[in-house]
Parts: sequence; C-alpha cells; structure tokens
Amino acid sequence: MSFEDILKSNTPPQKDDLTDEDLRRLFMKYKGLLKDQERDKSFWAATNENLKIAYEKLDEKDRELEKAYSIIHEDLSIAEKIQRGLLPSLSGQMKSDLDIAVYHKQLFEVGGDYYDFFKTKNEKYAIGVFDISGHGVSAALVMVYLKAQFMQIMERLESPKKIVEWVNSTSFNFLKSVKRYATVNFVVFHQDKLRYVCGGGFGLLIGHDKISTFEKRDHFVGLRDKPFHEYELPFSKDDILVLYTDGMIEAQNDRNEDYTIARLKQMVINNTDKHVDDILKLCLNDYQNFRSKDSDDITLLILRKRV
Amino acid sequence: MSGVKMEELRVFGATIHGFAQACINLNIVAGSKASSLISDIEVNGWYPFERLRRLERMVIESYDNAAPILERVGMEIMLTWYNYGPGKQIIKKGVDFLYFQSGSQGYESVVKGPKDLVGSFTLVEIDETKGKALIHSTDPFSKDMERGVIIGGMSAPGDLDYIDVKNDEDEHYFKIEFC
Repeated sequence: MSFEDILKSNTPPQKDDLTDEDLRRLFMKYKGLLKDQERDKSFWAATNENLKIAYEKLDEKDRELEKAYSIIHEDLSIAEKIQRGLLPSLSGQMKSDLDIAVYHKQLFEVGGDYYDFFKTKNEKYAIGVFDISGHGVSAALVMVYLKAQFMQIMERLESPKKIVEWVNSTSFNFLKSVKRYATVNFVVFHQDKLRYVCGGGFGLLIGHDKISTFEKRDHFVGLRDKPFHEYELPFSKDDILVLYTDGMIEAQNDRNEDYTIARLKQMVINNTDKHVDDILKLCLNDYQNFRSKDSDDITLLILRKRV
Repeated sequence: MSGVKMEELRVFGATIHGFAQACINLNIVAGSKASSLISDIEVNGWYPFERLRRLERMVIESYDNAAPILERVGMEIMLTWYNYGPGKQIIKKGVDFLYFQSGSQGYESVVKGPKDLVGSFTLVEIDETKGKALIHSTDPFSKDMERGVIIGGMSAPGDLDYIDVKNDEDEHYFKIEFC
C-alpha cells in the first residue's frame, strides 16, 4: 500500500504495513499539521484580539452617541418649548371680533410652520401663516428670524402688500444664503373686508353667498425680490376664513392618495353651522382617519367673524 | 533613502492587486478599504512602491499584532497566484518555488528601480535532501508578508508535508525547513 493509500484509508495501518519511509513521512505530515495549526492559532488570536478591540471601541462609541443624543434630545425639548412660547395668544380687539380655532403641529420637536397675530398701523389686526422650507432646527430658526422681521415693521405699515414686500426685501439675501424660503398667507382685517397677500399659502373664505379661494399667483418670501399682489375680499359677520399650510392637504393614505384641498374644503362647508372649535375637530378627525402618518408640519386656522 | 529615489521604486500592479485581493479573501479589516484603494490599478501597470506600502500600513494600523496577519496575506497571495494565476505552469513542486522566486522571473519581475532600493531575494543555500534552505532578502517588502509568501509558494503544489520558515533571529534571513 502506498503512503497516499495509507492516508486515504479509514482504518489505521498495521505496523507491518508501514515502511521506515512511511513512518518518517507520517511523522513529518503530523509535524506539518501542527505547524499549520500553530500559524492558524496566531492568525485567529490576532484577529480575535482585533475584534475584541473593535467591540470595545464600538461600545465606547455607543456610549458617546447615547450621551450626545441625550443632550440633543434635551436641547430639542427646550427648543420646542421656546418655539411654542413664540406662538401668539388671542387678545384685544381680535378676541372680541373673531372666534379662532387653531391646530398647529410640527413634524419633529421644532419645525418651520408658523402662525402669528399682529397689530398693524392704525390698530388693524392681522394674521400671518407661514411654511418655512425644510424641517427641524434650521426651519425653526428661520421662523424666529422672520417673526423678528415682521415685528420690526408691523406698526409702521398697514397694507399686507407693503408689509410682506418689506419683510421679503430685508430678508431676501439672508434667506438666499441659508437656502430657505417661506410660503406666506398674510391677512389684514378691516371693518367689512379683508386684504391679503398669498404667496404659496392656502386660504378659503366662506361667505354668505360666495366661497372664495385665495389667489395663489405670488412667489414665496425669500425666493424672488419682487413685488407681491394684494387682494381684497368682503368679510362680514358669520363669514368663515380658513388659512392652512400644505402639511394636511398633501398627507397621504395607505393607497398614496392625497387628502386634498377639495376634501378639506368640503369638510368645512358641510359644517359651517358649527362653532369653529367643532369644525376644527371634525376636520382633524377626518384627516387623522384618512392619513397613514403625518409627513409634514401642519397648521390649520379656522376663524369666524363674530361682529 | 532620499524621497526622490523612493519615488523611482516601482512595483508591478498585479502584486498590489494580489495583496488587496488577499485582504478581501481573508475578510480582514483592510478588505473593504483595500478595494477602494486599488480600483484604479491595472494589473500589468507599474506603480510607486508607496501604493503597496499604504496597503501594508492599513493592515498594521488595524491590528495590535499584525505579524500573523501579514504572514497569512503573503500565503494567500501565493495560493491565489498558484491556483488562479500562472503559478501552476511555473512550479511543479514546492521546492521549485525557492528557485523561481530568487530567479529573474520571480522577485525581480515585480519590483524595479534604483538597485539599492530594489534589493535582492537570494537563495543563499539549499539542501533538498536534508530539507533545508536559506534565503537572504533585502527587498522592500514586509518581512512578515514575505515569510508568508515563502510558506504559501512552497505549500501551493501540495507535495510537501512540512514547511517551516523562521526569520526571528535576523529578519532578512529566512531559515527554511521542509519535507
């Protein structure tokens, strides 16, 4: 039997079957296997040590990440409170003249949807609804910036066109540098009418005998340094005004269908006999039953002229 | 070594490729990074030796004890060269590798440049009957990897039962025992 046959066999050879040469080769083969084993052991020991170090580093990074996340989370909680604190409350003439119901929800802790109540020159009151591009912290910071811009000019002007143009002009370079813009719905209320500028926002006015949708021909704040258009609509007792951003109407259900302007419009029209708080609740119920999840910041403002 | 002279030291593309491929085959840490480092390497091209050094450094920096890893890389390079490259046509027995690698078709065919940097890979002595050989290497390759190259090259044909290569007394001298 050859040496190769001995190795292939499943039964150990008898002593008499082995020549001296076979024994020598078996011995060297065994030594060779031990040597291979020794090299393998060194390789795997080095690899395992490396793996151990890698796991330790991973654990350390995990702890650092957890710590960083905890700090970020805390910061965002505070930022959320600050941003909510910047939102307006109803007071003065506005409170006497209007019933207002508002739903406002950022997609994350902070975001770019923003609404505000203002007092313009000659004691007119105004409402602005804005949707700043992007989400999160950067959008929230732009919101604070724009709020400051509006506050600066508010009591010096009355026309929504002039107010929005002033803010657009002074903010333009800044917004361009941070690559942000904002849709705008800005409404100034007069005795029996309202005047508005609408750049990318959404507005619906349900009057006694007419339903009007805001003209949307204008650009966004921060997109072009150009004039805006101002429009006028009659606004009488019991008229309902709805101002909203696109977060709600562009939300989708499981079949990827949008909620749509038409659906929201119909919900309001079907319930004009109710208090604005109830209209809002019904709209929200319908929206929440429809959509699979929120995918944007949402602002929905429904108001009725009381006097 | 002057910087200018070092730039003249060139290595064959297939050698760099072989090293990176061995890293990938062995799933060692440099593997995924290695593929990105060699994406522009032509196997028949000539490249600054620094390109290979960079791969070696990646392995050394990733392991506390890189010696067994580099040795395994060297072995894997030669096994691939034998099983998937021209090796089978060139060597028939394990001991043939020693003659090949120290000849003009071996080491000298994969590194070129200033003589003092290229160095040499010389078979100083060999006794096939006793199963002993001595190689003297002054080439710029990692000595751990080179140990693996010798082991891998000699074991590839499969005719040897035992191979041991030591260079712990003087890293430039490889004492080889084989049977």
